[in-house]
Amino acid sequence: MNNRKTAIRFFTIADYEEEEVWLHNQHKNGWKLSRMIPPCFFIFEKCTPEDVTYRLDYKNNTETNNYFQIIRDYGWEYIGRCVGWLYLRKPLSETYSEQDGEIFSDNESRIEMINHVAKTRLLPSCLIIFLCCVLPNLSKGIETSDPLATVFTVVFSILTLIYLYLLIHCGFKLRKLRKKYTND
Amino acid sequence: MNSKIKRIYVPMTESGFYILFCLQQPQHGYGISQQVKQLTGGELIISAGTMYGTLSKMEKDGLIAFEKEEEKRKLYRITELGKKILNLEINRIERLYKNSKGVEINE
Repeated sequence: MNNRKTAIRFFTIADYEEEEVWLHNQHKNGWKLSRMIPPCFFIFEKCTPEDVTYRLDYKNNTETNNYFQIIRDYGWEYIGRCVGWLYLRKPLSETYSEQDGEIFSDNESRIEMINHVAKTRLLPSCLIIFLCCVLPNLSKGIETSDPLATVFTVVFSILTLIYLYLLIHCGFKLRKLRKKYTND
Repeated sequence: MNSKIKRIYVPMTESGFYILFCLQQPQHGYGISQQVKQLTGGELIISAGTMYGTLSKMEKDGLIAFEKEEEKRKLYRITELGKKILNLEINRIERLYKNSKGVEINE
């Protein structure tokens, strides 16, 4: 039997709650998260099926030793980090209350994390999109009727469109999450 | 006092208030959460991320300061600015309490 498996699944910066549920279900089926490889690879190890809460915290590499100490004190296991996100888990059997199974206990801190994601990930992405729209237009003026340039422009445009779609999706979803926690 | 600091912290969240209140004695994050649990009869639980976030923010704004390290844990203590903010909050809550009681008596 294979004791390891790699799953490919793509989550955007606004899908962290879905990701937590997915990881929880994996563990319940006997696969515990071992590590992540950006952008969408998850390595699992076989384990005894168990109810384990998974939580993602976004610190964008600003976390300190004190962060890990507090996390440990509260009984969370740190699994690893992936593009600014920290992956944490805690078995349900060691969770004393509903709040004990959460990393945030008030909506202010939940919203703060969403704002942190928006500020450090969404805004730079907007800049990239802007550059993607401007750059091809600049080169168009220089390039002539080279067929390779046409192919390049088409591929580039498709990628830009996909990126733009993801960006809008994330923007709306983060806004929805923020609203959910504001009205809670 | 900086009016911006005042705008951010007055009024403050319940978690923020208890964290600042507990730091009149040097304490670390998990220790504060245990103390708050006791003070509120288990009613208020401050989770790890909220604790770390609040401590970092208060340290940055100068309401609390690093005191010492004990067994790898960072202990904080309230500063003069923090005490001023805490007193503003205590006065505000006292007024709130008195007024709410007053209304009840008049009814």
